[in-house]
Amino acid sequence: MSQFVASIGFGIVTASILALAAVGFTLQFGVTNVLNLAYGGVMTASAFIAYAVAQAGAGLALTLAVGAVFGGVASVALNRVVLSPFIRRGIGVFGMIVVAISVSVMIDNGLLSFIGPSFFSLPFNQGRSFHLGAMIFTALELVIIGLSVIAMLALHSALRYTRIGKAMRATAADAVLARGCGVATGRVIDLAWLISGALCGLAGVTLVLNLATFDTTTGTGFLVPIIAAAVLGGVGQPYGAMLGALVVGLASQISTLVIQPEYNTAVAFVILIIVLLVRPTGIRSEIGASRELAT
Amino acid sequence: MSIGAQFYLTTILVYIGIDIIACLGLNLQFGVAGIINFAFIAFQAIGAYTAAVLALGPPFPGDFQHYVGFGPLPFPLPILIAGVVGGIASLVIGVICLRRLRSDYQAMVFLVVSLMATTVATNTNLVGGAAGLSTVPKPLYSNLGLTLVGYQWFYAALTGVFAIVVWLAVRRITNSPLGRALRALRDNEHTAQSIGKNVQGLRLSAFIAGGVIAAISGALLVLFISAWAPPGWLYPETFVYFTAVIVGGSGNNLGVAVGAMLVPVLFLEGARFLPTVVNPTFIDGMQWVAIGALSLAFLWFRPVGIFPERARGPLTDKRGGQIEWVRAMLVRAR
Repeated sequence: MSQFVASIGFGIVTASILALAAVGFTLQFGVTNVLNLAYGGVMTASAFIAYAVAQAGAGLALTLAVGAVFGGVASVALNRVVLSPFIRRGIGVFGMIVVAISVSVMIDNGLLSFIGPSFFSLPFNQGRSFHLGAMIFTALELVIIGLSVIAMLALHSALRYTRIGKAMRATAADAVLARGCGVATGRVIDLAWLISGALCGLAGVTLVLNLATFDTTTGTGFLVPIIAAAVLGGVGQPYGAMLGALVVGLASQISTLVIQPEYNTAVAFVILIIVLLVRPTGIRSEIGASRELAT
Repeated sequence: MSIGAQFYLTTILVYIGIDIIACLGLNLQFGVAGIINFAFIAFQAIGAYTAAVLALGPPFPGDFQHYVGFGPLPFPLPILIAGVVGGIASLVIGVICLRRLRSDYQAMVFLVVSLMATTVATNTNLVGGAAGLSTVPKPLYSNLGLTLVGYQWFYAALTGVFAIVVWLAVRRITNSPLGRALRALRDNEHTAQSIGKNVQGLRLSAFIAGGVIAAISGALLVLFISAWAPPGWLYPETFVYFTAVIVGGSGNNLGVAVGAMLVPVLFLEGARFLPTVVNPTFIDGMQWVAIGALSLAFLWFRPVGIFPERARGPLTDKRGGQIEWVRAMLVRAR
């Protein structure tokens, strides 16, 4: 029993990281209708930028901030330089996904070219541990959980209570209509990429903080649970993704009680398959089958 | 020609043959039926593992590699059974992934399948784990009594025969009413459905045919190189075939065959001759960046590829273009 409770503790940590990643991923899709398969690559790149900063002597807070800022800026650049021009050229969802995978392959292998196949780890130790019943959290894990909760609450309030959040939801629902109603959709989309990119960068850094080592494939390898969480929640639904992250995170850690830990991504995969069989559109809402790509 | 040059030439020929087979299979799924199968390489791997296991036979006691083996079976059987297994795997995965979802959503799920297949193959002893399988015997090598280079030529010819058979099979499909129906549902799913086409069934049949072809290409490859391991079929490998299909002209079998000759061989072989700079993985990584850039360049400047798909049917003019009023109607319908 105490092992079970302990695994819930690990699950909460995994779910926190996954929530950052999955909400960012789903937000990009929700607002722009682009399934950004280069998401894992941007996560890895952010992690390496954070690593460089940390090696230069930056503290934990600065390292996380730099990772988030880089993720945001890189995502806006990715959209402005590659994705958005292709959409304006009228490529459609069919070609767009090939563009996205091209970019993903380029980022992953560009990193491999310059960094090489070595393994790295961030120079922060776990800190002292805290006991919560049978659950044990290290100080670093508590920081990750806290960060994730704050990010989710901040996103929730921004989407719910601010004008720009309203504009973002309007753009996600119908970009053409939103533009017709005077929403500056271009700016909203830039902002959506910035926010989701920041979440992506933050997810990248927290992921490698929680891992013993990482290399240039870490982010893309993490795509399986991210996509599982996003699909479970209904792609494009930030609240669904939060719920999905919690389910996938907990399930993958609790499952280690009965199966070998190497397979915990398999748990995410099994969840994804079940969702596809039972309710392909996820827990929340439909995916926009006939929606246009938004520039 | 020197022995070394013959060796190199025949190896390239075998690779070209296998790449053409694989690209024809992918074109059937992607170019003709509009399925973005980002797990294509996993089906090639299924074929390769099946053929390898059947050619090897069960592991002997104290064997250095761990896998589940059967056989060993004589020559054409491992390749043919690999095709069957590839088809069955395609059926199972197709039924799950080809739900009525947007094509990019399906593609994302296929990417996950590809990532997952690598994880499973690496972490189980089903097919040799991370080390993979090696010492796969070359088919008929001891029976033919050829020299090493003579056998190379034999295998190149064998691959050529398979490529021709696959080419004829694929052409038969694309030129048949089935091919027409597949193109119709690729271009407009709802229209195809409204005239009574079984969209799900058609898509699944194209997916299975592509899966069989992928598995055969993998089987031919593993019996030639004698080894197969997870690092050789990571998800970007699928992307090389996608680039080949896009560069050649998706939907056009001839174009795709040309693309298969140009992209994998030119890019992946060409890099072999470059010197090592920065670090050992620099060239390795950069060739993938170059393939990504090539794909983006074609999608931007010439999305129809070098040899565009020819417009078919009675409503086309002599040069294969659509008649003006048909085009106008199509534009309006969009």
